Amino acid sequence: MNIIVQMWRSIFRTGVADSPVHRVFRVVVNFLLHLHPARVSKDGIKLRYTFCLGGLSLFFFIVTAVTGGFLMIYYYPDVDKAYASMKDIDEIVPFGTFMRNLHRWAAHLMVIFVPLHMLRVFLTAAYKPPREFNWVIGVNLLLLTFLLSFTGYLLPWDQLSYWAVTVGTTMAENTPILGAQGPFSVLGPEEDMHFILLGGTTIGQPTLVRFYFAHCVALPGALAGLMALHFWRIRKAGGISRPL
Amino acid sequence: MANKTKEDALLRPKDVYPKEEKVDTWPYLVRKELIAILVFSIVLVVWSLVMNAPLEDLANPSLTPKESKAPWYFVGLQELLVYFDPWLAGVVLPTVILIGLTLIPYIDPDPVKGVGQYAFKKRIFAMFCFIFGFTMWFVLVGVGQYLRGPYWSFYWPWEDMEVAKQVEVTLTNLPLPAGIALIVCFFALGLTIPAAVFKNFYWKAGLVRYYITMTLFMFMMFVPLKMILRQVFHIRYVITTPWFNI
Amino acid sequence: MFKPIIKIHDATAVSTERVSRRHILWGVLYWAGWGIILGILCVVGGAVVRLLYPRVIYEASKVFKAGRPEDYKMGSVNLVPGRSVWIVREKEGFYALLAKCTHLGCQPIWYEDQQVFKCPCHGSRFYKDGINFSGPAPRPLERLHISLSNEGRLVVNKGKVVGHDYTLQT
Ligand code: HEM
Ligand code: FES
Repeated sequence: MNIIVQMWRSIFRTGVADSPVHRVFRVVVNFLLHLHPARVSKDGIKLRYTFCLGGLSLFFFIVTAVTGGFLMIYYYPDVDKAYASMKDIDEIVPFGTFMRNLHRWAAHLMVIFVPLHMLRVFLTAAYKPPREFNWVIGVNLLLLTFLLSFTGYLLPWDQLSYWAVTVGTTMAENTPILGAQGPFSVLGPEEDMHFILLGGTTIGQPTLVRFYFAHCVALPGALAGLMALHFWRIRKAGGISRPL
Repeated sequence: MANKTKEDALLRPKDVYPKEEKVDTWPYLVRKELIAILVFSIVLVVWSLVMNAPLEDLANPSLTPKESKAPWYFVGLQELLVYFDPWLAGVVLPTVILIGLTLIPYIDPDPVKGVGQYAFKKRIFAMFCFIFGFTMWFVLVGVGQYLRGPYWSFYWPWEDMEVAKQVEVTLTNLPLPAGIALIVCFFALGLTIPAAVFKNFYWKAGLVRYYITMTLFMFMMFVPLKMILRQVFHIRYVITTPWFNI
Repeated sequence: MFKPIIKIHDATAVSTERVSRRHILWGVLYWAGWGIILGILCVVGGAVVRLLYPRVIYEASKVFKAGRPEDYKMGSVNLVPGRSVWIVREKEGFYALLAKCTHLGCQPIWYEDQQVFKCPCHGSRFYKDGINFSGPAPRPLERLHISLSNEGRLVVNKGKVVGHDYTLQT
């Protein structure tokens, strides 16, 4: 056998020949493509139906995850070094700015595309049985997307991030019952939600580490897990919605 | 298993897997996905080459910049902060929004209408609610992002943000009984009138669904109402108590 | 409405059949299993919540000295560097205001010419005595406890909030 064909086969588990059987086979045996069914509804893949919004949300998530990993190599979650390391990424690290820009703009696109995807799902009534729970998973994906953006905002440790996060976290202080300043508060300033969030009473080193952990580990992990569930549920609902 | 027939009846296979025309995933779907990814890869790379992510001065806890805005996707909430106290705008409203979104599939009384189509006419009320809320969110983002200048004062696009605005008009509060009466009337009417006028809707949804739907709907309508009260009638709080203000 | 398809064996149901010993044993084990799961979740959950509360926080002391009364001009508003506190001297005496907007925590700016504090974040305004008069701030700025130490220096305690008419006579 031709050595090239052998290599190809060993990687993709199918040959290069084309026939209806091969087409089905190729999707089923390929790890990346097995997220898809082998055959899909003709209406479902019309661009005018999904506008590919869900798929692109996933794409932007992957881009932010990969570029974020590279930024982690140069970033220190330390209040004395964080800002300086951002400056380094912008000015010294080769292609550091480019990587940072990719991370930032892909994140923005994700925050735009996830709500648009939700809009599409609503407009096509795709949340109706048997897809109710996938919509619920989706709402959690939306929340996680926002939280991910918010926690990332503090990391550069510049004026913008410091004050935006001050405003954002002070809202926690105003939570009814569980916030020290909120209506009917029962907890003091050193025991309320705000304190847990910041790891102190003002934004400082503990806050930066907490946000770093949330941004780089906890939230992306939760998002990836829920996404897997999201996609699995689409398959189990018999594929994408279509007119009944 | 003896349960099989029952289970089938529950899942209604007719709804789940209706007859349909199918095509091969490879190449018809895969190539579309590939094109979408390529297009947005180009967009991302070009965007990242021509525009840099902002980085301002080092954080300084003892100096708030003249203009401090949340990241744009939260500016809508920040804009709400002008009209509502933080515990409402920052905590209660987002929670209600999330709960409302989560409940959508369960309060929609019709399990099949409009599935798989952009059927605006068939689901007028549902479409109206969602598009209204969705648009309101982005309008608030737009106002907060582009029409708010230093000190969060309002500027039309043709006004110069460098010119300081004078202090806004003084606002009054509604007296407590009037405020309570207003809110009670608002929700009571919102919960009863639609049931009387749209009897069909009420019977179809059933008691529980109907009340959840209308409560959420009235919550959504409360937001623009409060804005109007403030901008047109210069009312700051509808209810003032020693513990909280609405 | 939804009907359960699989009936989980209900150990507590009153039945006319003879209740065997094995039956009861399984019932007990079933509920004990749930109990153990719940117990573990409570312990682990409680541990996580407690873990999130640091035992020690490395923050600036809440009590600090701020110079001698003579250092402050009559009628002046002075921001103590790094402490986010204004010390104001009026004819009635000294008072200290926490430089944290009661709206969402930005630091307002003192305008000497207009004699007002303005918050840049959402435009709240406060009079010199800390009372809010415009914008979204729901409460006046917080007044902090201020006293004189033995050697005649001003001492501010950020952990102790006092009433809005509290002043320190010197
Ligand atoms: C991280 C964010 C998300 C990702 C990556 C994602 C991904 C996807 C993908 C790839 C699909 C296939 C169809 C399509 O592309 O439109 C899909 C379908 C779906 N999504 Fe999402 N999604 C996300 C967030 C959401 C949100 C916020 C909601 C709603 C609240 C949602 C609800 C649904 C539902 C109900 C379907 C089934 C649609 C149908 O069968 O027509 N998803 N999602
Ligand atoms: S934080 Fe001061 S007005 Fe909002």
